[in-house]
Amino acid sequence: MTDYLLIQALNGLVIGVIYAVIAAGLTVIFSILKIVNFAHGEVYMMGGYFGYFAISLAGIPPLLAVLVAMALSFVLSVLVERTLLTPLYSPTTERKGDYGILITFGISIFLRALALIIYGPYPLRPPSFWPGVFVVGSLIMTWDRVFAGGAGVAMLIGLVLFMNRTAWGEALNAVSQSRESAAIVGINDQRFYMLAFGLGGALAGGAGALVGPIYSLSPSMGLLPDTQAFAIVILGGMGSVAGSIIAGLMIGVSESMFVALFPDPSRSLTYAQAFSLLILMLVLLIRPTGLFGRAHVAME
Amino acid sequence: MSRWNSACAFVLAVLALAFPFMVNAYWLSVGVLAMFYAIVTASWALLAGYAGQFSFGHMAFVSLGAYTSGLLVKWFDIPIPLGMMAGVLMCALVGSFIGFVCLRMRGPYLALFTVAFSEVLRIVIVSENEVTGGSGGLEVTPLFHGRTDTPFYYLGLALLIGSLAIMQFLVTSRWGLFFRAIRENEDAAAASGVKVVRFRILAFAITSSFAGLAGGFYGHYIGILTPDIGSVDQMGLVVAMAVIGGAESIVAAMIGALGLEFLVEALRSYGQWRLVLFGALLLLTIRFARNGLLALAWQQFNAILPLPVREGVGGRGRFGTGTTPSPQPPPARGGGVS
Amino acid sequence: MPINRTTRGTITAPTRRGMLAAAGAAASLPLLGRRVRAAGEPVAIGWVGPLSPPGGYAEGTNMKNAAEIASAEINAQGGLLGRPVEITYADTRGMPAEGRTAAERLIQQNKVVAVFGEFHSPVALAEMEVYHKYGTPFMACDVWSDQITAKGYPEVFRNAPAVSLIDVTIGQWIAAAGFKNVAIIAEKDDVGLSARTLVAEELKKANIAFTAVDADPNLTDFTAQILRFKSNSPPFDFFLNIYAEAGAYPMIRQAHDLGFAPTANCGIYNSGGEAVDPTFWENVGEAGKYLVTENVGLPKAAWNDKTKAFVAAYKAKHNADPSGAVMESYDGAWLLFDAIRTAGSTEAKAIINALENTKYIGARGQYSFSTSHEPAWHYHQFLEAPLSILQYAEVKQGQADAPIVWPRQYATVPYVYKKPGS
Repeated sequence: MTDYLLIQALNGLVIGVIYAVIAAGLTVIFSILKIVNFAHGEVYMMGGYFGYFAISLAGIPPLLAVLVAMALSFVLSVLVERTLLTPLYSPTTERKGDYGILITFGISIFLRALALIIYGPYPLRPPSFWPGVFVVGSLIMTWDRVFAGGAGVAMLIGLVLFMNRTAWGEALNAVSQSRESAAIVGINDQRFYMLAFGLGGALAGGAGALVGPIYSLSPSMGLLPDTQAFAIVILGGMGSVAGSIIAGLMIGVSESMFVALFPDPSRSLTYAQAFSLLILMLVLLIRPTGLFGRAHVAME
Repeated sequence: MSRWNSACAFVLAVLALAFPFMVNAYWLSVGVLAMFYAIVTASWALLAGYAGQFSFGHMAFVSLGAYTSGLLVKWFDIPIPLGMMAGVLMCALVGSFIGFVCLRMRGPYLALFTVAFSEVLRIVIVSENEVTGGSGGLEVTPLFHGRTDTPFYYLGLALLIGSLAIMQFLVTSRWGLFFRAIRENEDAAAASGVKVVRFRILAFAITSSFAGLAGGFYGHYIGILTPDIGSVDQMGLVVAMAVIGGAESIVAAMIGALGLEFLVEALRSYGQWRLVLFGALLLLTIRFARNGLLALAWQQFNAILPLPVREGVGGRGRFGTGTTPSPQPPPARGGGVS
Repeated sequence: MPINRTTRGTITAPTRRGMLAAAGAAASLPLLGRRVRAAGEPVAIGWVGPLSPPGGYAEGTNMKNAAEIASAEINAQGGLLGRPVEITYADTRGMPAEGRTAAERLIQQNKVVAVFGEFHSPVALAEMEVYHKYGTPFMACDVWSDQITAKGYPEVFRNAPAVSLIDVTIGQWIAAAGFKNVAIIAEKDDVGLSARTLVAEELKKANIAFTAVDADPNLTDFTAQILRFKSNSPPFDFFLNIYAEAGAYPMIRQAHDLGFAPTANCGIYNSGGEAVDPTFWENVGEAGKYLVTENVGLPKAAWNDKTKAFVAAYKAKHNADPSGAVMESYDGAWLLFDAIRTAGSTEAKAIINALENTKYIGARGQYSFSTSHEPAWHYHQFLEAPLSILQYAEVKQGQADAPIVWPRQYATVPYVYKKPGS
């Protein structure tokens, strides 16, 4: 029995790492741009497809294709930011929060519809990063999952290092705390918004490319991870990258354990989907700013 | 000027009443659905655009009203109007509850919470399929039996006009003022003596009731209910309708719903590209014409052919006061400005 | 900014502009729906099915492709009754409301004389009310719910098998293969659940133990549940999943990768059509070997000329083998064409009568529709609908080449089930 629970927990951990990557991207965007990006799941989806086509059209090896997917997702996000998000920085836009909600919601609808046309209806699956399974005792896990977990951890470490050890990252931190103060010190706003949105998108896209071989790709694959990412970000705190990581792992593991242990098998799979949503609702009810949320994060 | 108003109103009334006789049964069925979307969109505009409560859970109340009515009629054989009223009541109760629990939430948190609520409800409906029929659908007794949709259309029209009248009345009353105050700045409103708690809950309760009413109507029209009616995609459609029409004005939002429903049908020949065009239209509207296309069209129309306009209260938004960064001239006003 | 004065009694600007806009739009309405049909106009036929989400648009697209081939063929032969045939494709998106609107549109706007297709049972049920209202014949192609025919509408025919046909067969096969403890994951919708119930009844009859779990149609990660099955005591020796959504592929891969099924000790079955879809092998890879599934087309040995011709045509155009569901769509079109030809008319009652007496031989064999109401679902049902159970023996094996294990009169191999590694 303990073996079984251990395997479940490990699987949950791997999934949790992926959730954490997506959520970290969402947090970065929220910290800097002060909006909740409802289109995040769609960038994740696009990243998955970018990876697939990088492999099938350009013959890029799967491991490299993830980086290509991240780069392309970065570009896509910057494009979106430049064309649609600039009103967020203009003093004449009223109720920026509402604008952010509406425009990102609209982007998600648009990207989903576009993906349907461009990529067609058939589920696509990129080739495995490494075929076969990794077996240790009674623990079985595909290499794809192991790789996804490992690459995800690498991305998170990279993000944390970037935010804390590089000049750009520190500047992002500064902007997230106070736009005005950062401007006073000479940190140019606009470039950092671009960077933040692009970075968030790159993380989401990278996650999408990692899970492609595991779950297959479809234009609506971003819907569920989107709501899960929201749950994680709220649980971990809207402005905290570390919080998102911890919360992501927590939710990944508990989701797994939920399905494993929920007594009524005929409902465990359907309610598993509601799990992260219920967590989200619960946390918002108790502590609207999340577990690790920075108190000074305000909307406008 | 009032002659102009009356003439307009008269023409519209005649057209609306004569509609079933002017079109074939297909467009009539589209008309019925348009009535449904109009009620849902107008009530969402009241909640989100007017009272500033950005709830993405509106369709959950449509779903709740529809399933409540459908199930009660099925189990207890009560008359359908009674069932629909029960649906409305249920939504008023649950809506108040949601409004209450969301009191401390603002902006995106409210949006996220309501989206989660909506999805959880949908999942519950799918899971408890023994009760609700799940994804396979719940058969609902239709209101009218017969070969034609005409009675449905008139009922929908009556419900729409009734709902609009109530919403307009609310909006032109002091309550409307309170809602707008809460939207602009909740703390300032509270400091000015507005009972924020009461009115936020009221906003949810009232608009959810309208959604439930529309849901009941929908269920007893289509005859089969599936959980998708409460999905995020449907919510997106309603949001798009309201925004494109003009989210801050109930009437504009209603026009947006009617227009888009017919437009979406008319563009059938474009197949999948229809959805892409729709999304692009939504994005462009939010980006460049935040008050909605109707307001934009009106400004252009006024620039060419100025009509005496009285910028009244009842507060239908602040058109032309620099809400969007795009360079649009304020509406031309010929005389009679208050 | 002007001081806002209450101006009750005056309709304010936005309301007026709203009314003008509505008036303008409404004034253009009479122009809608006023198409005059001249003599010699095409024979209009409607096709319904999901072509975009939330419907199963991959299968819908396949079925549409088949209909297009049928349409091209009949027109190459000179059309029907000397007139060209024109099929209008309506996207019903898997939503009953869309189905209803589409049915109204096809009949009122496009003036179709008959409709065929559909993939989602609740949508078909909503559409049927419209067909019944107008008396328009409807050939249901890939909807399995018993209700479709059990409702007894004279306009409605079905050339696909019903759940009662399919799942009784599956249950009987499981018993014949000797399994003793079955794990079931069923898709949580009308068809999945009724299928599960029917299989369960057969298993009970044969004293076979089972555990059934229902799954949301949108899931893609079944790892936790599969692990739960794997650690069950006593161990399962068969994994039946009734899942027709895209999530079936990850489920099959996960079962394989986790070492649950197929193994020497546990077999796997996928019901719903995903396993005979062209994208199956790309998505599933190694895990598809030894998988068991059903095919609603004729077994290859029984292919007639029509089948061969259609398979060749479909392959040439779409570079994939047509599954049974695709053949249903193709035959559905031809059944209507044949009925119109035989009746010599496009009158609804004439078509219905011709269908009731049809002896048309299509890609799936000889058709006939029962007129019995006992049991209710027999009415206008193609009772002899082909149904065979196959088990893949090689990776990337075409569904038409896979060994058929049931029913025994069509079996191409001596065994009922082959254990991996034997």
